[in-house]
This record gives sequence, C-alpha cells and structure tokens, in this order.
Amino acid sequence: MADWQQELEAVVGAQHVLTHPNLLRAYSQDGYTLESAMPRAVVLPGSTEETQSVVRILARHGVPVVARGAGTSLSGGAIASQDSVILHFSRLNRIHQIDWTNRVTEVGPGVINADVSRALQPGGYFYAPDPSSQQACTIGGNFAENSGGPHCLKYGVTVNHVLMADVVLPNGEVRRFGNLAGDPDGPDWLGLLVGSEGTLGIATRLWLRMTPSPRASRTIAALFDSVAEASHAVSAVIAAGVIPAALEMMDRLAIFAVEKGAYPVGYPPDTAAVLLMEIDGEPLGVEAEAQQVLSLLEGFHVRQVKTAQSLEERNLWWANRKTAFGAMGLISPRYYVQDGVIPRHTLPIALDAIDSISAHYDIRIANVFHAGDGNLHPLLLYDDRDPREVSRVKRAGSEILRYCVELGGSITGEHGIGLEKLDEMRVQFSPEALLAHDAIKRVFDPAALFNPGKLLPTPGRCIDYDGPP
Amino acid sequence: MDTSQCVHCGLCLSACPTYAVTGLEVESPRGRLVLLNEWRQPEALHDPATAQWLDDCLDCRACESVCPAHVPTGHLVEQWRAQDRPTIPRNLTLMRGLGFFVGSTSGLRWFQRLSRWSRRPWGTRVARSVLARLPRTVGDLSHGLPQLSLQLSRETIGSDAPKPHSTVMFFVGCVMDAIYSESNRRTAELLRLAGYAVVTPSEQRCCGALHLHSGESQPVRIWAQENIRRFEESGADKVVVNAAGCGTTLKEYAALFAGEPQWEERARRFEDSVVDVTVLLAESMLPRVSPTGRVVTVHDACHHAHAQKIFREPRQLLARAGYTIHEMANSTQCCGSAGVYNLTHPDMSEALVAEKLASIPDGVTNVAAANPGCLLQIQAAARRSRRNVDVQHPVDLVWQAYHDAGYLPKQEVGTRG
Ligand SMILES: Cc1cc2nc3c(=O)[nH]c(=O)nc-3n(C[C@H](O)[C@H](O)[C@H](O)COP(=O)(O)OP(=O)(O)OC[C@H]3O[C@@H](n4cnc5c(N)ncnc54)[C@H](O)[C@@H]3O)c2cc1C
Ligand code: SF4
Ligand code: SF4
Repeated sequence: MADWQQELEAVVGAQHVLTHPNLLRAYSQDGYTLESAMPRAVVLPGSTEETQSVVRILARHGVPVVARGAGTSLSGGAIASQDSVILHFSRLNRIHQIDWTNRVTEVGPGVINADVSRALQPGGYFYAPDPSSQQACTIGGNFAENSGGPHCLKYGVTVNHVLMADVVLPNGEVRRFGNLAGDPDGPDWLGLLVGSEGTLGIATRLWLRMTPSPRASRTIAALFDSVAEASHAVSAVIAAGVIPAALEMMDRLAIFAVEKGAYPVGYPPDTAAVLLMEIDGEPLGVEAEAQQVLSLLEGFHVRQVKTAQSLEERNLWWANRKTAFGAMGLISPRYYVQDGVIPRHTLPIALDAIDSISAHYDIRIANVFHAGDGNLHPLLLYDDRDPREVSRVKRAGSEILRYCVELGGSITGEHGIGLEKLDEMRVQFSPEALLAHDAIKRVFDPAALFNPGKLLPTPGRCIDYDGPP
Repeated sequence: MDTSQCVHCGLCLSACPTYAVTGLEVESPRGRLVLLNEWRQPEALHDPATAQWLDDCLDCRACESVCPAHVPTGHLVEQWRAQDRPTIPRNLTLMRGLGFFVGSTSGLRWFQRLSRWSRRPWGTRVARSVLARLPRTVGDLSHGLPQLSLQLSRETIGSDAPKPHSTVMFFVGCVMDAIYSESNRRTAELLRLAGYAVVTPSEQRCCGALHLHSGESQPVRIWAQENIRRFEESGADKVVVNAAGCGTTLKEYAALFAGEPQWEERARRFEDSVVDVTVLLAESMLPRVSPTGRVVTVHDACHHAHAQKIFREPRQLLARAGYTIHEMANSTQCCGSAGVYNLTHPDMSEALVAEKLASIPDGVTNVAAANPGCLLQIQAAARRSRRNVDVQHPVDLVWQAYHDAGYLPKQEVGTRG
C-alpha cells in the first residue's frame, strides 16, 4: 500500500479511499468512449477541508489529481491522467442555502444541475444553463467545462451564472474567487477558472445566480423536408431580431433515433429536419414574438408547424431532444459526438461538408445542433469492435473540426478539449497563443498535478518551450 | 440483452437510488454494466466486493425508465443473479423459507398466523424463533403490519357468474392475500361497483417475483404454468392485479418459456391480459365523488412507475374519489423495500426509507402506495420514527371514499383479527 494511501485514509476514512481493480475499471471512462485509463485510486472527499488535505498529501507525493463529477464529459476530461488519483465529488452534493433576497444559491460541486432548478422552481426561479445532460451532470463539471445548453442562447452559459467559488489550488491553498455582486473586482480570475477543465483549480463550493422563471413561454416545432431550408429559416428568425430562449435543430437520422428512444414525440419518419424554438418572457411580448416567428416560417417550405399545447407536451419535446445523444445507442453500438462552432450563416455549407465527410469515411453521421448559436453536434456512429472503423471515425471527427475553423468557427462550443481535441488545439491556436496558455498553467500548477495531459497540448509535442515569455 | 448497448452517457446516474446513497460509480447503473462486463472476462475477479456492488441493485428499474438507449440494467443484474452470482448462504435460507410460505395455500396461512403473532408482545419472540434464520429486520418490519384478518382473502372474495366482456380474474398475490386481505376484499368490491364480474380461483399460485429478483427461478416456471391454466379455465378476459411487483412479473411470463413455443404462446396471451387494478378502475365508469378536502400524497412503487409506466392512473382514481393530491418530491424513487431487499440489505434499505419519509409533505398523513412491500416498509419506518402517517393501498383510500359517499354496502363485522 502506498504511503499516501494511508495518509488519505486518515483524512477521509478508509471507506472513501478505493483501489479495488473492478471499481477502478468503472472509473476508467467518462462519456467519451474512444479512450480509457485506470486511476491508481478513487477518493470521495466529504468537505472543502478534506479536499484541501487530500490535494496537499497527493502533491507532496507528486501524484496527479483528476476531479470528477458525474463523468458525463464528452471529451475525456474526467478520464484518469497517467498515474493519477480521481477525486469523485458525489458526496458534496448538498444545496447549502437558497438566498431568495439576493438571488444566490450556494451549492456543493456534486449537486446535479437539474436539482438546482428543481429546488428553485417553487419560488419562481431557475438555474439557466441547461446542458442536455442536466439530469445527471454536476455543477462542478459544468464549472470546469463552462457548459451551455439549449436555453443559453438567450441566458448565457455557465460563466455568466457562477458568481463566486471556493477553489482548491494545486499548491493546496483554498481561495475564494468572484463575489456575490457578480462584478469582477480586478482581474477576472473566476472567469479564467470557469472552463479550465480542472487544470487550474478544483471547485468545492459554488454560488450560483438565480434567474426568475419567465412568466410565459411558447414552444414551436417546425418540420422541414430539407435541412438547408431549415437552416435558412434559422437565419431569418435571428435576422428579424427575435432572440428565442432556444433554437435547436435535428436532422433525419437524429430524429429516427430519438423516436425510438425513451421519449418519442411522433415526428414522421421521413422528416428531414425539426426546428425547435422556444420564446419566453412576459405574456404579451411572447405572444407577439411567436406570431412574428410563425409568419416568418410561412415564407419557407415548411411541412408542418406545431405549437406545444401544454406544459407536458413542451416537456416531452425537450426530453426527446435532450436524450438525442444517448438514443444513438439504439441505432449504433457507439457514437462519437463532435462539438464544433461555425458562423451561423455558413450552416448549409457546413452541413454539405459533413455529408461528404460522412461519405468519404463511410461513417454514418446524425446531426443535432444548437442552431441559434451555430454550435454543431455531429454524432458519428461506429462500432468499437472494429479497429479500422474506430480510426476512420477519429479522422472524420478531426476533419469536421478543422473545417469549422476554416469557416471561421472554433473546435469546441461547450464539451471542452479534454483528451479528445489536443491535436486540434494546434489548428485553432497559434504557437504563441499556446505558449501563453502554458504560462498561465505554470503560474497555477508548476508541477503539472491537476488534470495533466488535458486541455493543453504538451509543449514538447509541437513547440519548444523555453521559459516564461 | 447485453451490456454493449450502453453508450456510457451517464444519464442514468441520478436516477439510481443506490448511487444516491453511496456516491460510488460501481453502485450506479453504468458502473454495474461495467462490472457485469468485467465479470464475463476470462480472468475476471469474482470476489465478494464485486458481487456485493452488483447484488445491491434494487431491481427498481429507475435506470431503465431514463436510459435513452433502453439498456435493461435491472434485468441484466437479475439475470446475473440467476446465472452467475456466487451463492450467498443467507439468501438461500431466506428463499427456502419464503418458498415454503408463498409456495402453497397452507404455507400462506402459516405466514398469516406468524405475522399476526408478531404483533403481540410475546408473538415477536415466537415468530422469530420460528423464523430464526431471518435477519433482525423482520421484527422491525412487523411494526408496519396492518390489522390482520383470520382468513386469506381468496377464501372470502368468492366468484361471480361470468359476464360477457367484463369478467376479470382476480390475482390475489401472497402478501396481499395473507396480510392485506382487507385491501383485496375492497379491490373486489370496487371492481364489482365498476361493473365487473370477479372470478377468484382458489388454486392460484405465487407470481414468483421475490424468487426471480433473488435469482431463484426454479420454482417459478411451475407456478407460472398453474396460473396460466387457472386463467384459461376462468373464462375471464383480464387478469387484475393490485400489487405492482406481481403485475410486473405476470407481464413478463413469456420470457420464462423462451424457446418452448407452446408455453411461450400461452404465456404471451396471459401477459397481454394482465392489467393493474388502478389502470382498470381509472378507465372504468366509477362515479365521481365531489372533492372532500381529504389530502393524500402518492408514493409510486418502482414496479408501477418504472417497470409498468403507471403513474397517472392512481392519481386519476384518487382524484375521482374526491381526494386532493399533494405530490411528494421524488415520488418515483425506491423506498428500499424492493422484494426481500430490506431483509438482505438492511442498511441501504434503511437509508432509502429515511429519504422517503422525509419527502412526505409536512402535514400530510395519508400516503398511497400500490405495492405490499412498499406499504410494509414505509409504515414500519414511520412507526419507528413516530411519524404520524397512514400508508395505504390507493384501493383502500378509494374504497373508503365510495363507502362514505354511500356507494358501497356497510362493511361486514367480524373479519378483523
Ligand atoms: C448525453 C449528453 C449530453 C450533453 N449535453 C451537453 C450540453 O448540451 N452542453 C454541454 O455543455 N455539455 C453537454 N454534455 C457534456 C457534459 O455533460 C458537460 O461537460 C458537463 O458539464 C460535465 O459534468 P460532469 O459532472 O459529468 O463532469 P465530469 O464529466 O465528471 O468532469 C468534466 C470535467 O470537469 C472536471 N471537474 C469535475 N468536477 C470538478 C470540480 N469540482 N472542480 C474542477 N473541475 C471539475 C473534470 O476534471 C473534467 O475535466 C453532454 C454530455 C452527455 C453525455
Ligand atoms: S443511461 Fe443507458 S446508455 Fe447511458 S450510461 Fe446509463 S445505461 Fe448506459
Ligand atoms: S435497477 Fe434501480 S438500483 Fe438497480 S441499477 Fe437500476 S436504478 Fe440502480
């Protein structure tokens, strides 16, 4: 037994330090299934103080640390780094306080995203960032990935909703970043930490903004016979100045899968694209904007337009959309979801390109997008038992990302870089920019103990690192 | 059915009660699938810890409800219990004991007698000396028992002359028959009020749920065949059941006979005829009672909400009988009863029922639960923690409402023990 293991047991209790090989196997993957790696141990800290002690002990022994929430990361962020110990935050899952007057909710990092909104709902509030994985993913993971979701088009992503956080730094210090007023005083350290994928600090307590629930909302589903036509409709809606709360699209293969899934809506099987739009706000404004959207849609070849008739129907449409990734399991043994961003007006061109990449690599691709902000989620379907297909799928995915950059977009919208997109980082950023990233990392974590091997491509692999710039 | 359908998305984690209690990936559906997969590897480690993580599964199927890829995790663990689980002596004794009690009518009478004794101060001792091999939790659970009758319900309900298209065979269950016989009698009365002819074959057998969940499938096929025969002879078009757990098992009879075309076909016809009492009554012509101001909260048994997708009907039925429903948080989360789980896994079960009690809204004393295991589990926990709640089958609540509104004849006296 390693020395550090006994020391950890003294801090968190033996039952919260786990090394059983089968258990480690269960922790060797997250939602990104193209890679896996076994950790040396899994620790379940019970408080900020315990996390701090655990980090100190492991730092003293030079053991890397990887934080884990629900393990729904799609870029391998929660997969063990080499020789690392995983800190699983499932025990820090309490909502500590809801401050209705100041509209701030104080939570542990292991709290499930959807549970925050559930707790706020009776008081007429919600937590706005709503990743499709919200029924399972945690606030700590959202913090690390700067997660977004369908409703972030209007409300903004995680960084706009975390006001303050207690963070354990790689040197074992606990620091509070941000403030309850939500205005950075001096450099925006909190803004830097949100989205840093667990490479700079580990959040152990977070203060979240509460957003008043809109008083009215309308959800519209438009069915199209062509994806291009649907994309033009998206552009038209945005150009008209409407800011929907959400504007989502699914293509034929995606529709086929969700209709087989847990929440079928009844979209006809030959529908080429579904556009889901939600408008919310004050009742009168909502009504007017909904009318505006409906009349805009009349200018396009729309097969059918429906407005949700009840809250139940609306929730069903969203559940159907939000389980699209998982539903791929029904039509393929594995899926690999890409997460590129493109300027919205290039949507039809990008879709054509994805089509030809699909044909070229002989990989079926379903498409789900946050159409409102040009965030594509092509789902590449493959069979992990066929090594050649696995390699084709990786190349096809990479090519899609490169094309997004070419169109003036980026290699990630919300799923992060993790292990998955290290190579593409060099496509997106200049060597100088990467050096700057690396310099920041060194300020926080000179010994490279926090989630090493993720987010930042190792300098040795592409550029020579010669001291701080 | 296999584990490879899982795409590792993790959406099931938050649905799993054992993950909520332990916070361990291996106690989550996704983790259990990894373990099941490991278990099959040539050099696999089949140690007690791994077996325990798998065996902790409640078979509540909450994960199956939310899994977008329809991975049947609960079923897969059940299959593992039947085929691969190393023998756990504690469970074997338990199942043999249970086999005696639920396997025959005379066993059931013994069960009823023992349960009745266990309510008396001296009775717990007697009952426990007979059930000496059973864990301490049996004594704890006995606090959850209702007033017990002297007779099995099947002996008092009787059978009506069949009516075309509205004859039902009443599947009386074991625990329902012996312990909740009063609820069974009321079920029959409500069915009759709704216009059905009720047929109650006295030779029907245990559905086999408890045995199947514990991986003991041997006796169940024989019981299933008998039940199928009884139904075929009964002249009924439907089999009505009021225990959620039995309903699920009855609806999965065909799988017991996979590869035996004749029996599979008969079992399939049987399966298709099974209907839960709350569903049948919710769709029936029972009269509407104007709101009485009585408040109730509903706990959804796993085998209602997750396995049979029954959620609205009990509420519709209660509302029609004049009740106001105050929903509890997480009404579909397992109460920890899960067949004999509360006997085999006392600690996990205790943690779950504590959460269930905490989620009953303040001031609400009526809790509806449509499964005998849940009734016993939640009532026992409430008594232990001195919480003033009355856990009843929705049928009992509905019966009471119709009775008070004058739709049902006065209750006979003398059936209570
Ligand atoms: C079906 C599905 C749909 C999804 N949809 C969306 C979507 O719509 N939008 C979106 O943005 N993402 C989406 N995701 C991706 C994923 O859910 C998010 O990235 C989520 O924020 C991860 O949360 P988690 O708790 O699972 O974190 P994990 O996967 O456990 O970890 C993710 C990263 O966060 C780090 N981390 C975890 N906890 C902490 C902490 N306390 N402090 C510091 N770092 C920490 C980990 O080290 C890792 O790098 C989806 C995933 C799936 C499987
Ligand atoms: S929800 Fe289904 S596919 Fe996703 S991890 Fe759980 S079992 Fe696997
Ligand atoms: S059946 Fe219930 S206990 Fe078992 S894995 Fe699924 S959710 Fe968890």
